[in-house]
Amino acid sequence: MSRFWLVMISLAPLLGATRTIVQAIAISLCACLLTGLHQALMAPLRRHLDQGASPWASALLTATLVTCLYLGLRAWALPLAEELALYPLLLALPCLACEQLPPQTHRLLCRSLGGLLVASLALGICRQVLADDLGLHIATLAPGALILLGLLLGLYNHLRPSTTSPRRQGSR
Amino acid sequence: MNVRWRSAACLLLLALLAVATTLVWQRFTAEPIAQASRQWQERQWLAVLPPGSYDNRPLQTPLALAETSLRHSRLLAGYRATLAGSPTAILLHNRFQGYGGAIEMVIAIDTQGRLVGMRVLEQQESPGLGDQLADPARHWLDQFIGRAQQGTPEQAWAIKRDQGAFDQLAGATVTSRAVIEAIQDALRYFDDHRQALLGEARP
Repeated sequence: MSRFWLVMISLAPLLGATRTIVQAIAISLCACLLTGLHQALMAPLRRHLDQGASPWASALLTATLVTCLYLGLRAWALPLAEELALYPLLLALPCLACEQLPPQTHRLLCRSLGGLLVASLALGICRQVLADDLGLHIATLAPGALILLGLLLGLYNHLRPSTTSPRRQGSR
Repeated sequence: MNVRWRSAACLLLLALLAVATTLVWQRFTAEPIAQASRQWQERQWLAVLPPGSYDNRPLQTPLALAETSLRHSRLLAGYRATLAGSPTAILLHNRFQGYGGAIEMVIAIDTQGRLVGMRVLEQQESPGLGDQLADPARHWLDQFIGRAQQGTPEQAWAIKRDQGAFDQLAGATVTSRAVIEAIQDALRYFDDHRQALLGEARP
Protein backbone atom coordinates (compact mmCIF):
# COMPACT_ATOMS: atom_id res chain seq x y z
CA MET A 1 0.00 0.00 0.00
CA SER A 2 1.10 3.55 -0.62
CA ARG A 3 2.50 5.73 2.11
CA PHE A 4 -0.61 7.83 2.18
CA TRP A 5 -3.20 5.09 2.27
CA LEU A 6 -4.63 6.23 5.60
CA VAL A 7 -4.88 9.81 4.38
CA MET A 8 -6.63 8.56 1.27
CA ILE A 9 -9.16 6.42 3.08
CA SER A 10 -9.96 9.24 5.51
CA LEU A 11 -10.18 11.82 2.75
CA ALA A 12 -13.84 12.67 3.41
CA PRO A 13 -13.43 13.61 7.10
CA LEU A 14 -10.06 15.18 6.31
CA LEU A 15 -11.59 17.54 3.76
CA GLY A 16 -14.94 18.06 5.41
CA ALA A 17 -13.97 18.64 9.01
CA THR A 18 -10.85 20.79 8.82
CA ARG A 19 -12.51 24.17 8.32
CA THR A 20 -10.78 25.60 11.41
CA ILE A 21 -7.79 24.59 13.52
CA VAL A 22 -10.05 23.47 16.38
CA GLN A 23 -12.01 21.21 14.04
CA ALA A 24 -8.81 19.79 12.57
CA ILE A 25 -7.39 18.98 16.00
CA ALA A 26 -10.69 17.44 17.10
CA ILE A 27 -11.14 15.23 14.06
CA SER A 28 -7.55 14.01 14.05
CA LEU A 29 -7.65 13.25 17.78
CA CYS A 30 -10.89 11.35 17.23
CA ALA A 31 -9.24 9.41 14.41
CA CYS A 32 -6.22 8.51 16.56
CA LEU A 33 -8.41 7.56 19.52
CA LEU A 34 -10.72 5.40 17.43
CA THR A 35 -7.98 3.59 15.54
CA GLY A 36 -5.94 3.08 18.68
CA LEU A 37 -8.87 1.70 20.68
CA HIS A 38 -9.94 -0.48 17.78
CA GLN A 39 -6.47 -1.95 17.39
CA ALA A 40 -6.08 -2.45 21.15
CA LEU A 41 -9.40 -4.29 21.41
CA MET A 42 -8.87 -6.36 18.27
CA ALA A 43 -5.47 -7.65 19.41
CA PRO A 44 -6.80 -10.07 22.08
CA LEU A 45 -9.81 -11.00 19.92
CA ARG A 46 -7.71 -12.12 16.96
CA ARG A 47 -6.38 -15.07 18.93
CA HIS A 48 -9.88 -16.47 19.42
CA LEU A 49 -11.24 -15.78 15.94
CA ASP A 50 -10.62 -17.60 12.69
CA GLN A 51 -10.06 -15.94 9.32
CA GLY A 52 -13.74 -15.69 8.39
CA ALA A 53 -14.97 -14.17 11.64
CA SER A 54 -12.32 -11.50 12.01
CA PRO A 55 -13.81 -8.90 9.62
CA TRP A 56 -17.22 -9.28 11.27
CA ALA A 57 -15.75 -8.72 14.70
CA SER A 58 -13.86 -5.70 13.39
CA ALA A 59 -17.02 -4.22 11.89
CA LEU A 60 -19.00 -4.75 15.11
CA LEU A 61 -16.28 -3.19 17.19
CA THR A 62 -15.94 -0.23 14.84
CA ALA A 63 -19.69 0.40 14.84
CA THR A 64 -19.81 0.37 18.64
CA LEU A 65 -16.81 2.64 19.05
CA VAL A 66 -17.98 5.15 16.45
CA THR A 67 -21.48 5.29 17.90
CA CYS A 68 -20.14 5.85 21.41
CA LEU A 69 -17.76 8.55 20.19
CA TYR A 70 -20.53 10.33 18.30
CA LEU A 71 -22.90 10.26 21.27
CA GLY A 72 -20.12 11.38 23.59
CA LEU A 73 -19.30 14.34 21.33
CA ARG A 74 -22.94 15.37 21.22
CA ALA A 75 -23.27 15.10 24.99
CA TRP A 76 -20.20 17.01 26.10
CA ALA A 77 -19.13 19.10 23.12
CA LEU A 78 -22.31 19.90 21.22
CA PRO A 79 -21.08 23.09 19.46
CA LEU A 80 -18.08 21.14 18.16
CA ALA A 81 -20.27 18.17 17.24
CA GLU A 82 -22.55 20.48 15.25
CA GLU A 83 -19.54 21.80 13.33
CA LEU A 84 -18.14 18.34 12.66
CA ALA A 85 -21.58 17.14 11.51
CA LEU A 86 -21.51 13.49 10.40
CA TYR A 87 -17.79 13.34 9.69
CA PRO A 88 -16.82 11.59 12.96
CA LEU A 89 -19.00 8.67 11.81
CA LEU A 90 -16.94 8.37 8.64
CA LEU A 91 -13.87 7.67 10.77
CA ALA A 92 -15.11 4.07 10.80
CA LEU A 93 -13.46 3.69 7.38
CA PRO A 94 -9.84 4.08 8.50
CA CYS A 95 -10.59 1.73 11.42
CA LEU A 96 -11.78 -0.96 9.04
CA ALA A 97 -8.91 -0.30 6.66
CA CYS A 98 -6.35 -0.87 9.42
CA GLU A 99 -7.52 -4.47 9.60
CA GLN A 100 -6.32 -5.00 6.05
CA LEU A 101 -2.75 -4.25 7.06
CA PRO A 102 -0.39 -7.18 7.34
CA PRO A 103 -0.06 -8.25 11.00
CA GLN A 104 2.66 -6.85 13.25
CA THR A 105 2.97 -3.52 11.47
CA HIS A 106 2.51 -1.16 14.36
CA ARG A 107 5.26 1.10 13.14
CA LEU A 108 3.57 1.59 9.80
CA LEU A 109 0.25 2.24 11.52
CA CYS A 110 1.77 4.78 13.90
CA ARG A 111 3.53 6.55 11.07
CA SER A 112 0.35 6.68 9.02
CA LEU A 113 -1.64 8.04 11.94
CA GLY A 114 1.07 10.62 12.53
CA GLY A 115 0.87 11.54 8.86
CA LEU A 116 -2.88 11.91 9.12
CA LEU A 117 -2.51 14.12 12.19
CA VAL A 118 0.04 16.35 10.49
CA ALA A 119 -1.99 16.51 7.26
CA SER A 120 -5.18 17.54 9.01
CA LEU A 121 -3.38 20.09 11.19
CA ALA A 122 -1.64 21.62 8.20
CA LEU A 123 -4.91 21.71 6.30
CA GLY A 124 -6.73 23.26 9.26
CA ILE A 125 -4.13 25.98 9.74
CA CYS A 126 -3.94 26.80 6.02
CA ARG A 127 -7.71 26.90 5.62
CA GLN A 128 -8.28 29.11 8.62
CA VAL A 129 -5.52 31.54 7.62
CA LEU A 130 -6.64 31.67 3.98
CA ALA A 131 -10.32 32.09 4.83
CA ASP A 132 -10.16 34.45 7.78
CA ASP A 133 -7.08 36.55 7.13
CA LEU A 134 -6.91 36.59 3.35
CA GLY A 135 -10.65 36.35 2.73
CA LEU A 136 -10.43 33.45 0.28
CA HIS A 137 -13.93 32.05 0.43
CA ILE A 138 -13.04 28.89 -1.48
CA ALA A 139 -10.82 27.75 1.41
CA THR A 140 -13.93 27.25 3.53
CA LEU A 141 -15.44 24.84 0.99
CA ALA A 142 -14.55 21.21 0.44
CA PRO A 143 -13.27 21.66 -3.18
CA GLY A 144 -10.86 24.31 -1.93
CA ALA A 145 -9.69 21.89 0.74
CA LEU A 146 -8.99 19.21 -1.88
CA ILE A 147 -6.90 21.63 -3.96
CA LEU A 148 -5.07 22.75 -0.84
CA LEU A 149 -4.36 19.17 0.20
CA GLY A 150 -2.95 18.49 -3.26
CA LEU A 151 -0.69 21.51 -2.98
CA LEU A 152 0.46 20.47 0.51
CA LEU A 153 1.27 16.93 -0.63
CA GLY A 154 3.11 18.34 -3.62
CA LEU A 155 5.13 20.59 -1.34
CA TYR A 156 5.90 17.64 0.93
CA ASN A 157 7.04 15.51 -1.99
CA HIS A 158 9.24 18.34 -3.19
CA LEU A 159 10.85 18.91 0.20
CA ARG A 160 11.12 15.39 1.63
CA PRO A 161 14.53 13.75 1.67
CA SER A 162 14.98 11.38 -1.22
CA THR A 163 14.69 7.73 -0.21
CA THR A 164 17.34 6.53 -2.59
CA SER A 165 20.72 8.14 -2.75
CA PRO A 166 21.68 9.70 -6.07
CA ARG A 167 24.53 7.17 -6.38
CA ARG A 168 22.06 4.31 -6.67
CA GLN A 169 19.85 5.97 -9.26
CA GLY A 170 22.19 4.84 -12.02
CA SER A 171 24.32 6.92 -14.30
CA ARG A 172 24.31 7.62 -17.96
CA MET B 1 -14.62 -27.88 13.77
CA ASN B 2 -13.85 -27.06 17.35
CA VAL B 3 -11.98 -23.92 16.37
CA ARG B 4 -14.88 -22.82 14.21
CA TRP B 5 -17.41 -23.22 17.01
CA ARG B 6 -15.19 -21.35 19.39
CA SER B 7 -14.81 -18.55 16.88
CA ALA B 8 -18.60 -18.34 16.32
CA ALA B 9 -19.27 -18.29 20.07
CA CYS B 10 -16.69 -15.55 20.49
CA LEU B 11 -18.30 -13.51 17.71
CA LEU B 12 -21.75 -13.95 19.25
CA LEU B 13 -20.46 -12.82 22.62
CA LEU B 14 -18.82 -9.81 21.00
CA ALA B 15 -22.05 -8.90 19.22
CA LEU B 16 -24.03 -9.07 22.46
CA LEU B 17 -21.42 -7.01 24.27
CA ALA B 18 -21.34 -4.45 21.46
CA VAL B 19 -25.11 -4.00 21.48
CA ALA B 20 -25.22 -3.85 25.27
CA THR B 21 -22.42 -1.28 25.43
CA THR B 22 -24.09 0.90 22.82
CA LEU B 23 -27.44 0.77 24.61
CA VAL B 24 -25.93 1.53 28.01
CA TRP B 25 -23.90 4.39 26.56
CA GLN B 26 -26.94 5.77 24.80
CA ARG B 27 -28.94 5.67 28.04
CA PHE B 28 -26.03 7.24 29.89
CA THR B 29 -25.61 10.15 27.43
CA ALA B 30 -29.32 10.78 26.83
CA GLU B 31 -29.68 13.31 29.65
CA PRO B 32 -26.46 15.29 28.87
CA ILE B 33 -27.42 15.37 25.18
CA ALA B 34 -30.90 16.69 25.96
CA GLN B 35 -29.44 19.33 28.25
CA ALA B 36 -26.77 20.35 25.76
CA SER B 37 -29.26 20.66 22.94
CA ARG B 38 -31.52 22.81 25.10
CA GLN B 39 -28.59 25.11 25.85
CA TRP B 40 -27.55 25.09 22.20
CA GLN B 41 -31.03 26.06 21.08
CA GLU B 42 -31.20 28.79 23.71
CA ARG B 43 -27.88 30.21 22.55
CA GLN B 44 -29.00 30.15 18.90
CA TRP B 45 -32.18 32.00 19.77
CA LEU B 46 -30.75 34.56 22.11
CA ALA B 47 -27.99 35.50 19.65
CA VAL B 48 -30.55 37.87 18.11
CA LEU B 49 -30.50 40.02 21.23
CA PRO B 50 -27.55 42.31 21.97
CA PRO B 51 -25.54 40.83 24.84
CA GLY B 52 -26.29 42.47 28.16
CA SER B 53 -29.73 43.65 27.10
CA TYR B 54 -31.56 41.04 29.17
CA ASP B 55 -31.04 39.26 32.46
CA ASN B 56 -33.90 36.76 32.48
CA ARG B 57 -34.18 33.48 30.60
CA PRO B 58 -36.76 34.46 28.00
CA LEU B 59 -37.27 30.97 26.57
CA GLN B 60 -38.43 29.66 29.95
CA THR B 61 -41.54 31.85 29.90
CA PRO B 62 -43.43 31.76 26.62
CA LEU B 63 -46.10 34.43 26.20
CA ALA B 64 -49.72 33.65 25.45
CA LEU B 65 -50.31 34.95 21.92
CA ALA B 66 -53.72 36.32 21.00
CA GLU B 67 -53.91 35.31 17.36
CA THR B 68 -51.25 33.35 15.59
CA SER B 69 -52.30 33.46 11.93
CA LEU B 70 -50.88 36.61 10.39
CA ARG B 71 -51.27 37.84 6.83
CA HIS B 72 -48.26 36.01 5.38
CA SER B 73 -46.92 33.99 8.26
CA ARG B 74 -47.84 32.08 11.36
CA LEU B 75 -46.57 32.87 14.83
CA LEU B 76 -45.33 29.83 16.70
CA ALA B 77 -44.28 31.46 19.94
CA GLY B 78 -43.41 34.74 21.62
CA TYR B 79 -41.02 35.47 24.45
CA ARG B 80 -40.25 38.55 26.53
CA ALA B 81 -36.70 39.58 27.43
CA THR B 82 -36.43 41.77 30.49
CA LEU B 83 -33.63 43.69 32.15
CA ALA B 84 -34.05 44.37 35.88
CA GLY B 85 -37.74 43.57 35.61
CA SER B 86 -38.63 45.93 32.76
CA PRO B 87 -39.12 44.52 29.26
CA THR B 88 -36.40 45.28 26.73
CA ALA B 89 -37.38 43.19 23.75
CA ILE B 90 -39.91 40.72 22.42
CA LEU B 91 -38.85 37.62 20.51
CA LEU B 92 -41.32 36.37 17.93
CA HIS B 93 -40.86 32.93 16.39
CA ASN B 94 -42.67 32.76 13.09
CA ARG B 95 -42.93 30.39 10.20
CA PHE B 96 -43.72 31.28 6.60
CA GLN B 97 -43.49 29.79 3.16
CA GLY B 98 -40.25 30.45 1.32
CA TYR B 99 -39.27 29.21 -2.12
CA GLY B 100 -38.16 25.69 -1.27
CA GLY B 101 -40.20 25.11 1.86
CA ALA B 102 -41.08 26.59 5.20
CA ILE B 103 -38.70 29.11 6.75
CA GLU B 104 -38.60 29.59 10.50
CA MET B 105 -37.23 32.79 11.89
CA VAL B 106 -36.86 34.39 15.26
CA ILE B 107 -37.35 38.15 15.14
CA ALA B 108 -36.46 40.43 18.02
CA ILE B 109 -38.31 43.74 18.41
CA ASP B 110 -37.49 46.33 21.05
CA THR B 111 -40.03 48.23 23.11
CA GLN B 112 -40.13 51.08 20.55
CA GLY B 113 -41.20 48.64 17.84
CA ARG B 114 -37.81 48.60 16.10
CA LEU B 115 -36.13 45.46 14.84
CA VAL B 116 -33.05 44.57 16.86
CA GLY B 117 -32.14 41.24 15.34
CA MET B 118 -33.24 38.34 13.20
CA ARG B 119 -32.07 34.82 12.82
CA VAL B 120 -33.08 32.01 10.52
CA LEU B 121 -33.66 28.79 12.42
CA GLU B 122 -34.83 26.52 9.62
CA GLN B 123 -34.85 26.88 5.86
CA GLN B 124 -34.82 24.75 2.75
CA GLU B 125 -33.99 27.42 0.18
CA SER B 126 -31.94 26.79 -2.97
CA PRO B 127 -28.30 26.13 -2.10
CA GLY B 128 -26.09 29.07 -3.07
CA LEU B 129 -29.05 31.40 -3.75
CA GLY B 130 -31.82 31.56 -1.17
CA ASP B 131 -29.83 29.85 1.54
CA GLN B 132 -27.50 32.84 1.73
CA LEU B 133 -30.27 34.17 3.91
CA ALA B 134 -28.87 32.08 6.75
CA ASP B 135 -25.22 32.84 5.96
CA PRO B 136 -23.95 35.15 8.69
CA ALA B 137 -21.18 36.41 6.41
CA ARG B 138 -23.71 37.87 3.96
CA HIS B 139 -25.33 40.29 6.42
CA TRP B 140 -28.41 40.52 4.23
CA LEU B 141 -30.75 40.56 7.20
CA ASP B 142 -28.79 43.41 8.79
CA GLN B 143 -30.41 45.97 6.48
CA PHE B 144 -33.66 45.60 8.43
CA ILE B 145 -32.15 46.35 11.83
CA GLY B 146 -33.49 49.55 13.32
CA ARG B 147 -36.49 49.60 11.01
CA ALA B 148 -39.94 50.06 12.53
CA GLN B 149 -43.46 49.96 11.18
CA GLN B 150 -43.69 53.69 11.92
CA GLY B 151 -41.27 55.69 9.85
CA THR B 152 -41.23 53.20 6.99
CA PRO B 153 -44.04 53.79 4.50
CA GLU B 154 -46.18 50.80 3.54
CA GLN B 155 -44.91 50.62 -0.05
CA ALA B 156 -41.29 50.69 1.14
CA TRP B 157 -41.70 47.21 2.63
CA ALA B 158 -40.62 45.49 -0.56
CA ILE B 159 -37.52 44.75 -2.55
CA LYS B 160 -36.24 47.44 -4.90
CA ARG B 161 -37.54 45.53 -7.93
CA ASP B 162 -41.05 46.02 -6.49
CA GLN B 163 -40.36 49.77 -5.90
CA GLY B 164 -39.52 49.08 -2.25
CA ALA B 165 -36.61 50.17 -0.11
CA PHE B 166 -34.70 46.96 0.46
CA ASP B 167 -32.01 45.05 -1.40
CA GLN B 168 -32.85 41.52 -2.43
CA LEU B 169 -30.73 38.41 -2.31
CA ALA B 170 -29.37 37.90 -5.82
CA GLY B 171 -31.27 35.13 -7.57
CA ALA B 172 -33.68 34.63 -4.71
CA THR B 173 -36.55 37.05 -5.30
CA VAL B 174 -39.24 34.78 -3.87
CA THR B 175 -37.25 34.19 -0.70
CA SER B 176 -36.52 37.92 -0.30
CA ARG B 177 -40.19 38.86 -0.73
CA ALA B 178 -41.28 36.19 1.75
CA VAL B 179 -38.81 37.34 4.38
CA ILE B 180 -39.79 41.00 4.04
CA GLU B 181 -43.48 40.13 4.31
CA ALA B 182 -42.84 38.01 7.39
CA ILE B 183 -40.80 40.76 9.06
CA GLN B 184 -43.53 43.28 8.33
CA ASP B 185 -46.08 40.82 9.75
CA ALA B 186 -44.12 40.54 12.96
CA LEU B 187 -43.78 44.32 13.34
CA ARG B 188 -47.46 44.83 12.63
CA TYR B 189 -48.33 42.18 15.21
CA PHE B 190 -46.11 43.91 17.75
CA ASP B 191 -47.77 47.25 17.14
CA ASP B 192 -51.25 45.76 17.39
CA HIS B 193 -50.59 43.77 20.56
CA ARG B 194 -47.98 45.96 22.13
CA GLN B 195 -49.47 46.16 25.61
CA ALA B 196 -50.18 42.45 25.92
CA LEU B 197 -46.70 41.56 24.70
CA LEU B 198 -44.88 43.97 26.98
CA GLY B 199 -47.13 43.12 29.93
CA GLU B 200 -48.16 46.73 30.44
CA ALA B 201 -51.45 47.56 32.13
CA ARG B 202 -54.05 48.98 29.80
CA PRO B 203 -54.49 52.74 30.34
